[in-house]
Parts: sequence; C-alpha cells; structure tokens
Amino acid sequence: MMNSLKMNRRRFLGVSGGALAAATLGSGLGQLRAAKSEEDLSRFQKRGKKEYIASNCAMCVNKCGIIGEVIDGKLHKINPNPEHLKSRGMLCAKGNAGASLPYSPERLKKPLLRTGKRGEGKWKEISWEEAYRHVAQNLARLKQKYKNRSSVAFASTEGLQEEFFYYLVSGFGSLNTVRHPTLCLSTNIQGWSSVYGVYPDADLQNAEFVVMIGSDRAQSFITPDSVDFQRFKPKGQTLVYLDPRFTETAAKADKWFAVKPRTDMAFTLAMLYVILEEELYDKTFAKRELHGFERFREHVFANGYTPEWAESKCEIPADEIRWTARQFARHAPRSVIYPGRRSSFYAHEVYFRQTCAMLTAICGCWDVKGGIVPKSSVPLSSHTPLFPFFYDVKERVDKEAVGIVKKVVPSVVDCPLVGTGLPEDSCAFLSERDGSWITFREAVLHDEPYPVRGFVCFKQNPLQSVPNTAKTLQMLEKMEFICVIEQQMSDTAWYADLVLPHSTYLESWDPCHALSGIWPVVVARQPVIQPLFNTRTMFEISRGILTEMLKIPELWDDVEAEALEDFKKTVMQEILEQPIQKYMQHQLKDYPGGYERILEKGVLVPSQKPNYGKTRQNGFRFKTKTGKIELFNERFHKRGLDPMPSYCEPLRPQKEGEYRFLVGRTAWHTHSSTQNIPHLWEIMKENAVWINTAEAARLGIHDGQYCRVTSKVGQQTLKAYVTEKIRPDAVYYVNGWGRLSPGMSLVYKKGGSEAEILEDTMDSISGSAAMHETYVTIEKA
Amino acid sequence: MFREQLQSVYQIHKNHSRDVHNLPFIWLGAVFLVLGLIGVLLVLFKGHEAVYGVSREVPWGLLIATYAYLVITSTGLAFIGGLGHAFGFEKFAKMNKRIVVLAFITLLAGFTQIGMELGHPFRLMYLFLLSPHFQAPIVWMGIFYSMELVILGVELYLIFRPGKTNRQLTAVFGFLALLVGVIATSNLGFVFGSINARPFYHGIYFPVFLVVSGIAAGAALLLVINNIVSGFKVREELQDSMQALGKLMGLGIGVMIFLYAWKLISSVYSEPEGMSQAALALISGPMALHFWIGEVGLALVLPLLLIVLCRGRNSAILGLSGLIYMLGLFFTRYDFVVAGQLPPMRPGFEGSGVDTVKGLVHYTPSPVEWMIFALGLGVFFFFYFLAERYLDLQT
Amino acid sequence: MSQQRYAIVLDTRKCLNCKACTVACKFENDVPVEDEAYRIWVTEMPLTGRFPYLHQEFQPSQCQHCENAPCEKVCPTRATFTTEAGAVLVDYDKCILCKACMVACPYDARFVSLEHKAVEKCTLCIHRLQEGREPACVETCPTKVRVFGDLNDPKSEVSRLLGSSNSYRLKPEKNTRPRLYYVT
Ligand SMILES: Nc1nc2c(c(=O)[nH]1)N[C@H]1C(S)=C(S)[C@@H](COP(=O)(O)OP(=O)(O)OC[C@H]3O[C@@H](n4cnc5c(=O)[nH]c(N)nc54)[C@H](O)[C@@H]3O)O[C@H]1N2
Ligand SMILES: Nc1nc2c(c(=O)[nH]1)N[C@H]1C(S)=C(S)[C@@H](COP(=O)(O)OP(=O)(O)OC[C@H]3O[C@@H](n4cnc5c(=O)[nH]c(N)nc54)[C@H](O)[C@@H]3O)O[C@H]1N2
Ligand code: SF4
Ligand code: SF4
Ligand code: SF4
Ligand code: SF4
Ligand code: SF4
Ligand SMILES: [Mo]
Repeated sequence: MMNSLKMNRRRFLGVSGGALAAATLGSGLGQLRAAKSEEDLSRFQKRGKKEYIASNCAMCVNKCGIIGEVIDGKLHKINPNPEHLKSRGMLCAKGNAGASLPYSPERLKKPLLRTGKRGEGKWKEISWEEAYRHVAQNLARLKQKYKNRSSVAFASTEGLQEEFFYYLVSGFGSLNTVRHPTLCLSTNIQGWSSVYGVYPDADLQNAEFVVMIGSDRAQSFITPDSVDFQRFKPKGQTLVYLDPRFTETAAKADKWFAVKPRTDMAFTLAMLYVILEEELYDKTFAKRELHGFERFREHVFANGYTPEWAESKCEIPADEIRWTARQFARHAPRSVIYPGRRSSFYAHEVYFRQTCAMLTAICGCWDVKGGIVPKSSVPLSSHTPLFPFFYDVKERVDKEAVGIVKKVVPSVVDCPLVGTGLPEDSCAFLSERDGSWITFREAVLHDEPYPVRGFVCFKQNPLQSVPNTAKTLQMLEKMEFICVIEQQMSDTAWYADLVLPHSTYLESWDPCHALSGIWPVVVARQPVIQPLFNTRTMFEISRGILTEMLKIPELWDDVEAEALEDFKKTVMQEILEQPIQKYMQHQLKDYPGGYERILEKGVLVPSQKPNYGKTRQNGFRFKTKTGKIELFNERFHKRGLDPMPSYCEPLRPQKEGEYRFLVGRTAWHTHSSTQNIPHLWEIMKENAVWINTAEAARLGIHDGQYCRVTSKVGQQTLKAYVTEKIRPDAVYYVNGWGRLSPGMSLVYKKGGSEAEILEDTMDSISGSAAMHETYVTIEKA
Repeated sequence: MFREQLQSVYQIHKNHSRDVHNLPFIWLGAVFLVLGLIGVLLVLFKGHEAVYGVSREVPWGLLIATYAYLVITSTGLAFIGGLGHAFGFEKFAKMNKRIVVLAFITLLAGFTQIGMELGHPFRLMYLFLLSPHFQAPIVWMGIFYSMELVILGVELYLIFRPGKTNRQLTAVFGFLALLVGVIATSNLGFVFGSINARPFYHGIYFPVFLVVSGIAAGAALLLVINNIVSGFKVREELQDSMQALGKLMGLGIGVMIFLYAWKLISSVYSEPEGMSQAALALISGPMALHFWIGEVGLALVLPLLLIVLCRGRNSAILGLSGLIYMLGLFFTRYDFVVAGQLPPMRPGFEGSGVDTVKGLVHYTPSPVEWMIFALGLGVFFFFYFLAERYLDLQT
Repeated sequence: MSQQRYAIVLDTRKCLNCKACTVACKFENDVPVEDEAYRIWVTEMPLTGRFPYLHQEFQPSQCQHCENAPCEKVCPTRATFTTEAGAVLVDYDKCILCKACMVACPYDARFVSLEHKAVEKCTLCIHRLQEGREPACVETCPTKVRVFGDLNDPKSEVSRLLGSSNSYRLKPEKNTRPRLYYVT
C-alpha cells in the first residue's frame, strides 16, 4: 500500500570532523580491512567522535551484552557484546531497537501529577522534590488512616533496579508486594522444585535429543537457549516440539506435534509409561537418587497411561509418543525435556511440569552435559541494610484470602485434585515476595481481609499483563493513591495519580546482578549516554522518597527508635546516600579488578566452562523434604495434595463455536513494553487473531477481515489471520496491542488486547494465573 | 532592421477563422500550464517521494510513460519530416514547417516530463559530461535526444530564416532528424529492452515497436492538427498529404497489430516467468480495461476501422481517427511502462517487504503526477498553438 | 587485483525470522522507519503442507552484490560502482535518481533514500569493514545465519562453508553472479 508513513526520521549523525576510533571488536576481522589499493571509500565512513560503551540490554529479561556505539554524544547503534557468555554475541530485534528508546518523543520526561479525572489524561508537571513529598505524604496518610502499612501495595517486575524498589517497600513496611512470577513461571518453578528442590536449566548446546513443550524458543528469547538450539546445528540434535500452533520454533523442529491444548500431560505421562514399561530408564540412577520410584511406577501403570490412552487425549499418534519416549531414553543422558519459562498456562499446570522433571529424573539426564543442569551462580557480596520492624502491618492479603480464592478458582477446574489445593493459604505454595496476582487482586476487590488503598507500581503494566483488565481497573478505582514509576505512558501509568519518569537503561547506573545458569555471569549497567531528561533511576527515587518520609514523624511512630537509627545509618547513609558506584564496588569486592572489568566489558565471566555434576556428588542433599530427587512428593502429600501427577480432564467448550484462546510471543516484542517503538512497530503494525483455515471458512471469515473475539470477560475487535498454522479448536493473538493509553500512540486502540479477554483462572498450587483457560467465540465485525 | 526581420518572421496571419481555432487551445494550454506549475511547486516543496505515486516496486510511472508518449511522437514527426525533405516525399514536405514546429515543441514537452521525473535533473546535465557511463542505455538515449533537439532547433532556424531557403541544408537536417530520431527512439526502447530483470521489457520488441508506433503517432498528430487549424476543413492542396498520412498511420497500426499479436502470444505461451504475468495483467488482469479499451480499441481497432471505412480519403474522418489513435496511444505507453513492472522481483510473501495483490504489485499515478503530465500538455498546447497563431506554419 | 573477494554465505536453516538483522541494519545505516526504506529483509516462504504436517522456511536477503551487476550497467552517471573486493556501492552525490537501477535490479534491493536524496541499498557495511568490523546484520544475528568473509582466503569461514556444502544463488537465470551464497 502507498501509505508510507514517513515518520521519526531522526538523524543520529553529526557531520563534524574528528578522528575515527578504530575500535576492532570481535577481532580476527582485521584482515577484512579494505585494501589500500581500493578506491577511496572514506566517504562511506561515519564521521564524528566515536565511543564504545559496554553495558547490558534491558529490553526483556535476558540482559544480553551490549556495546553502545556513541557518536558525538548520541547513541547511534547498539552492538552485541561477544564476551557475554549467555547472549553469545547476539542482539535480537528488540535489543537493537533499544537504541531509539532514549530519543522517543513519547517517553516520560518529568514527574506528572494528575489534575483531571483518572484516565482523563490531564497532567501537571511537577518537580522531583514535590513528587517525592507527594509520595511520602500519601504513604503517611494511608498508614495513618488504616493503621496498616499493608494498605499500600507494591507491584513490580524483575530488573536490576528492582532491588532499590524493595528498599522503598521495606522502608515503608508493607507486606503486600506482587511480582510477575505468578503471571510467568511460578508453576514451572513449583513443578521442577517438587522433584529437585530447584528450577534448573537445559544444556541445549550439548543435548542430542530435545523435547520442547510450549516453549517458543525461536521467538521467545531466552539466552543462551534461543541461540544454542540452532546455532550449533547441524550437529545432529533432534528437536521434537509440541505446540497447538506452528510457531517459528515448530518451523525449526524435526517433528512438530500440534498437541491439543492442555493435554501435554497425557503425552508426558505416556512417555513415562513407555520408558517404565520397556525398562529404558537409568536403573542405577533411579536406585541411588530417586525417592518413591516404585510407588510412582505403580501409579503410572495403575492409571493405564499408555500411548494409546494418551492419543485419545492429546491427539498425538501413539506411535509417535512411543518413538519419542524411546529416542529420549536412547539418547539419555543427553536428552532434554525442556523446562521452559512461561508456564502460566493452565490450572493443574504444576503437575504437568512435574512430569517433565520426572522424565529427566528416571532417565538420569540430571546434572550432566547435554541434560538438565541446576543453575550455578556467581556469589556477590551483599549489603546488610537493616530495615525496621513495623508494628502497624498486617499479613499479605492473598495469604489470608482462602475463602475468596475458592470462589475465584473457577469451576473450570473440574478436577478434584486441584480443588483441594487450598489447605490453609490462598494457594499451596505462595512465595512471600511474589504473591499471587490473581488472588491479590481478588482480595483487594473484596476488601478482604482488610482494605488496600494505595498502589505503587514499578516497571510493571498490570493492565496488560494480568488477565481480566476490567477487574484490574476496578482494583485501581479502589485506590486512594496510585504512583507509577515508568519510562513511557503505559496503560497503568495512564490511570495513575502520579507518574514518575524512570531513566532508560541506557542512561542509568544499575547494580551488579548475577545471572545464574549453566554459564553464570555477572552483569551491571553504566550510562551509555548521558541522561537526556530530568529522569531518575529507582535508586535515586527510593532515596528521594525515603528522605521525604524521614521528615514525617507519623511514618515512624510504630518503630523502635534504635531500629530507626539503624535504618538511617545502614540504608540511607551507607547505601542510598552514597554514589551507586560504591554499592557496585562492594558487590564485587571479592573480585579484584572486577569493577573495572565490568565497566570495560559490561560483564564478568568467572569461568568459561560449564559446571556439571555438583549435585551428583555423594551425600548431596536436594532441597526436597527427603533430600532426594522426589518422584513421590512428600510436601504435597503432607498438604493433602496429590503427591504424584495424575491426569485431569481439561475444560471443554461450554457451547458450540467456542475456541480455546492461547497466549504466546513474537520475537519482535516484549510483553506490552515495546509496541510503541517505531522500528519494531513497523515489522507488525497490528496484531491479528489466528484462526484455522477450515474454521474461518465455516465462519465466513476472510484473511485480514476484522472480527470480534468475545470471552466471558471481554471483547476485542481485530483482524483475522487465516492460517493452517493453528489447530482448529484454538485461536491466538499476541499480547501488546489494543492499548488504553493514548500515550502509546502507535498502538492506542489498534488491534486487540489479550488481558481484556483473558479470564482470571488460577493454578492453586502455585497461585499462578492460568492464561490458557479462556474460551472465546469469533464473529465478523 | 531587427523590426523588419521580426515582421517577416512573425507574419500575422490574415485569416481570422484560424484565430478562433487557436485561441481555445492556447487557453487550454495555459490552464494546463498553470496546473503543471502548481505541480512543479508541490514537487519542489514536498519532494518527489512525497507527492509521486511511484514506489520501490514500480519506480517508473506515469511520467516515464508521458515522456515516452511525447518524445516518441516527436521523433515520429521528425521521421515524417525527413521523408518529406530527404527522401522527396513531396506530400509531407508540404507540411514541413508544421512538422518541425510540432516535433520541436512535442520534444520539449517530453523533456518537461523526464526533467520532473528525475530526482536531480541539474546533476544530470554536468554528470553526463563529467562521468558518463557509455554502457548505460540512458546515456545514449540522452545523447540522441539531445542531438535531436539540436537538429530540430537548426531545422527551425533554417525554416524561419527570413528570405533564404537552402533546400540542400534542409534536406540534410531533415535526414539527420529522421535518423537520429529513429536511433533515439530505438534507444529509448533499449532502455527497456536492456532490462534482463523485467522479462516483459527485455529484448528487441520495444526498440522496434516504439519506432513503428511513433511514426504512426507522428502521422496521427499531423492529421489531428491539420484538422484543428483548418476547422476540420483541410485545404484542398493538403488533401493528398492527408491521405498519405492516413496511409502511413494505417500502415503503422497494421504493423503494430502484427507486433502486438506475436508479443502477446509469445508472452503468454507456456507462461514464461515474469513475462506472462505482465502480459496477463494487460489481457485479463488489473490493466485489462486500459488494454482492451485504450490500447486495442482506441489505438488499433477504431482508427484502423475509420481509415478503412473512409478508404483513407476523408480528411475529417482521418483527423478523427488520428485523434482516437493519439488517445489510445497514451494508454499504450502507460500500459507498457507499468505492466512491465507489475510482476514483483520478489514474491509478496509476509516479511518480503513487497505488497502484492494476486501476485502483482500495484501502481496508481498520484494527482501531482497528473499535474506534471498537464505541464507537458500545457507546453505542447500553449506553445504550439501560440506558434500557429503568430507564425505562418503553412508552407 | 585486490587481495580480497567479499562474500556472504547464508545458512537459512538456522534463521529464526527474528528480524534482528533488519533492525540492526536500519540503525547502523540510518535507514528510516518507512515502508519502502529497507536494505535487508526476511521473507517468510509459503507454508507448505496441510495441518498438521507443515513446513516453512525463512529467507533473509539483501543486495546480492552481483559480480555482473545490472544496476551498475544501466547507471548513466557511474553513481553505482563496484569496489575491487566486490562491494557494489552507490555514490550518492552522483546519483540523478533516474531509477533505472531500481528497475534493472532483479532482487528489488534498491530504494530511493530521502536521507541521501539518492538511490541506496546495502553497502555491505563498507564503513564497518574499513574498521575491521563485520556487517551489522552479520554481527547481530542470534544464530549466525550469515557469514561474511573473503573468498580469496582459502582458510576463511566463507571458503570453508562453500567448500563443504551445496550452495545456490538467487535467480541464477539472470546471470548476475551474486556474491551472496545460500548453503543447504
Ligand atoms: N496477556 C498476557 N499477559 C501476560 C503475558 C502474556 O504473554 N500475555 N506474559 C506474562 C509474563 S511471562 C510476564 S513475565 C509478565 C510481564 O508483565 P510486565 O512485567 O507487566 O511487563 P510489560 O508488559 O513488559 O510491562 C513492563 C512495563 O515496564 C516499563 N519499563 C520498562 N523498562 C523500565 C525501566 O527501566 N524502568 C521502569 N520504571 N519501567 C520500565 C515498560 O514501559 C512497561 O510499561 O506478563 C505476563 N502477563
Ligand atoms: N521476544 C520475546 N522474548 C521473550 C519475551 C518477550 O516478551 N518477547 N518474554 C520473556 C519472558 S518474561 C518469558 S516468561 C518467556 C516466555 O517464553 P515461553 O516460555 O516460550 O512462552 P510463550 O512464548 O508464551 O510460548 C508459549 C507457547 O506455548 C504454546 N501453547 C499454548 N498452549 C499450549 C498447550 O496446551 N500445550 C503446548 N505444548 N503449548 C501450548 C503457545 O502457542 C506458545 O507458542 O519469553 C521471554 N522472552
Ligand atoms: S533477548 Fe533481546 S531484548 Fe532480551 S535482553 Fe537479549 S537483546 Fe535484549
Ligand atoms: S537475525 Fe539471523 S535469525 Fe534473525 S531473521 Fe536475521 S538472519 Fe534470521
Ligand atoms: S542485487 Fe541488485 S542492487 Fe545489488 S548488485 Fe545486484 S543488481 Fe545491483
Ligand atoms: S538512480 Fe542513481 S544510481 Fe540508479 S541508475 Fe540512476 S543515477 Fe545510477
Ligand atoms: S551488510 Fe550492512 S548495509 Fe548490508 S544489509 Fe547488512 S547491515 Fe545492512
Ligand atoms: Mo515471563
């Protein structure tokens, strides 16, 4: 079409002269230098003073190594850092597009105080001092009014500055914090931990046989997995991929099984069945390391989890299941059943993840080269901030909201085993810091067990990332004070009372962080360019707000004087009031020259060699109840939960014409963060709902036609993508469109939002949202 | 002295009836010119890319077509002029003044099109001297069309040189105009014919076809103009010239039909890649209406039918047939330029960057492109009919 | 004779369709966000088969740096030229925007650049090569689909790859003799 939108044509280059910094990165390329005899090609050179500054990406969770190429003070480009052992010298589309972030005309530049109604978009610019005071006063007011510090909730998602957000949280003393894991990977953590006590990594670089289930590694980047699973091909690795959609990963797989949604467990149980029945498992390992092996074998046989049985559930041919199981066992221990990351799929999901851990266990693919390996970490020296103990504080709302959650965990889960997953807590294994977003919100909505009236949000956009936007909006309406710390006018920021502009990762000093894994490294950030606007980092914001808080006596009336002094000294004076560089130096104090190295290289790589077999040493105690690898889970058993995985039937469509709605990513965007970045937006300007060709024909829907997608909780209108790439019983579209905030002008009201139609179903063991338990109907718009 | 010269050159014609026929066309030309100048301003202020409909996939659009339309017609005229002077076709020689003026102005009108189409027309002027690339057909096209302009300019001078007439010199330049014109046009054809990437263009078809259709166009335009300036009552002494032009045009159309038939048959027969898509775009695709009504109906069938029906004798009907042909020929030019580029160089799959509908890219001229076309027409109408009004173009 | 003969060897089997290369190129070369302005693209080849037996390839590409470059042949002002090592480049100051090269390029590799007021296309990141750095698209790729190097160096990765695999070039029937090779 001729609608070439000629936009945003920023010039990054100055034309002033200056020597060229002949920075030879990656090296070994020196010989490619153009020959002297070649024509004068210097006119193609970029002129200006060049600097190369190492740091780390923050466009998604991976923190890949970057080297910012700065020309005359402007960030021209971000290059990958070959020395970063996890990102292995790559930078994805988002990582590249980050270079435009600081220069985005729509980024937040000054603290904004709401002047109109909420969501009306009327703001007043205020100074940082006013902003800090405003936050402190509101926290004080709520604390006084409710005599409960937990009446203010704090929401955040991981990131290097998040620990300073927790300085603020702990300095105020609320126990109500909600983080992303129950939207993301908590079922995975619970499932794998139920067997090993930890959530491990996969050694894809060395695995021979890989079964990947609903982890779209070619698009959903996890480093180094997304690199390893292809880059070292072809070397004979076989990839079997299960996904109701034909994704980019499916396109790379040796076999793709279009599994019926929510039935993967039938597949893994049948694999277990075959391996046990044909005695293909690692007998010595089973005997030595596994707790409950016999009982588990009985369980599998007694329930008749045969491939034929599984075929009737998951619609993958029994022969294929048998083949996969035998191959898996044959290649063991270099066989991987990939743990994946996002597992906020279904209720009962923990048990499915448990079966994956068990397959690994019985074939002895644990903690060996090419198998599943527990994460290693690089220890950093920690600080010892002493936060006061506050008296006016109540237990988390989601912990005590058992009654509500029983109502919320919907009838969808017609599985008795799940229904009993709520002995005394709202979910069986609630993480203190992470909370459970779904339960948390429900408790707030019901004022149970007490009112929560303040909401401070850092680097999270719950209006798009928590299922059922209508409820999140209702929750926000209950708030007397909402403060959002953001980079852009996200949907959540749009509904805030006070928006604090956070510096971009390219302008910020971020503390050191150990990235654990098979190849653990330490990363940190330094400014690649000088801050362009009057933005702050969470380190500075926490200092600012806490300083103002210390001026309000009411905020400290439930604290021992001594504790307050300790707080002032260890938190304020020794950490927040010091330059952050000091904090970083302290973190690295056990690594001589480490701080300098991290500034130079962006990353600290203590060892190039992966570390296998620590947990295979004699006498190693796993963090399970028995200290062994548990096939029979004692903790579950004690809680009255099923100790071993049993298949439970998925919810079926309630009426004719319903499709199961699936969630998944694209390689071109991160959640709801990046859609407004022109370089990424231009790759895909609007999202579209995937619908199988035959179904579309039945509904009379053509490719590209707008249609309405309706669930129990919402409706969205977006284009149809008619394709063979999805099962006939499911539909899908990607997250991040259909935005509520006009401050995201490229995607405001464009396409469809996922969160608006997702039902707030939950997995009761982990407290995780179950995002694939929504059925929708589709009709022409 | 100078005054005298002027007077002899600008013999204001006494016949009043002719003024009546000129004026509306001068006005029409003026209106076109104004439209065109607005177009020029839009291009200057907003830039080519912003106001033209051409794209990455279809880089050559309406203006290349109108350029071809005009300059090829000009060389067609020069060809006829050359026949008259150099080869003794008296019937054409009788119209020489009109032919040369027409050819010159049409060529200028054509140059406005390429001038506005090029992103850097001024750069072109010195780079053709400083850094010419003689392997590039465009260079030769440029050289020959520039030569043609100079030759026609000399002819103009020779014709209007007061008093003296040098038949020999006129004949030499008439011949040169014919020769260079044919070479220029066939080179223009080769600008397309050289393009291996676009099978529909590639080969000798366009060098030949453009020359043939251009000669027919020259004849057609003369038929039309003679009718217009005489109020559809062409003077007796020009009747035989008109019939000869009619024959020439008819012959041209005949050859065109012959070329067309084989071009299309060979383009679709066994579906050669790229070529058949372009041909089918014309025959049954998005350009079918243009093709059947414009190219076939107006440029081939109707004019030929009219010529046959009046047995090539009725000047007025010949004029009408010329007019219809010139209308149709516009489609012919437009269609070949555009159709050749419709098959994409890369299929329009997701991510390829190419946007196709039924396997073809698309192009629609933008309003400003039409305005630039108006500039060309304006130059043609305004200056030609001004010449008719103020100069004696009867021989 | 230059000592070097540039080539890019692509293994599309590794391509994830992640478009890191296309975004990297835009930043590296200041190519604006605009539908028709791109030097490099990643095509999703048509899906073959019927559910649930499907297959799809992704095909990244860019200017082929043809040895027999039609774009250079038709360029009237020599704005388009080839370096000794084989990079086909455009001298923006010499381009008159006649667009003949765009029509003549069988790969649709060129476009009118508003930045340069000239036709532009992939330069092989010649400015990076001069500094001994790889082209941006090569460097950023997660799976290293592209390998850049010197065919005159028998020990180079490109020579090794071409010597050890089957390879093909795009549109061989046009006899453009691309310096981009696809291995299978
Ligand atoms: N519908 C739907 N919901 C989902 C998912 C899904 O696929 N679909 N995925 C789930 C998963 S796995 C996860 S992990 C969560 C993620 O959910 P969230 O953590 O909410 O992630 P984002 O949606 O990316 O929103 C992050 C916000 O932080 C802002 N931000 C980015 N960098 C900074 C910074 O440096 N400082 C500050 N202050 N702000 C910053 C961004 O502008 C953005 O608005 O979503 C979950 N929810
Ligand atoms: N480009 C990009 N990369 C990212 C992120 C991003 O936003 N963008 N986010 C990062 C984060 S926070 C996370 S958590 C990870 C998430 O990365 P992944 O863990 O890979 O999660 P998703 O991409 O959401 O992929 C889920 C896949 O499961 C499929 N699926 C749905 N239902 C079923 C089912 O019943 N069975 C099976 N077998 N498959 C099913 C979906 O179709 C989808 O393709 O990605 C990380 N990397
Ligand atoms: S995967 Fe991409 S977005 Fe995520 S950290 Fe790495 S480069 Fe950045
Ligand atoms: S960066 Fe590499 S993997 Fe990604 S699209 Fe480009 S060629 Fe393919
Ligand atoms: S691909 Fe096109 S632009 Fe590149 S060298 Fe070949 S013909 Fe020229
Ligand atoms: S557009 Fe420029 S580069 Fe292309 S052929 Fe014309 S002058 Fe040469
Ligand atoms: S070599 Fe450089 S200019 Fe060419 S496509 Fe790659 S990044 Fe772009
Ligand atoms: Mo996540």
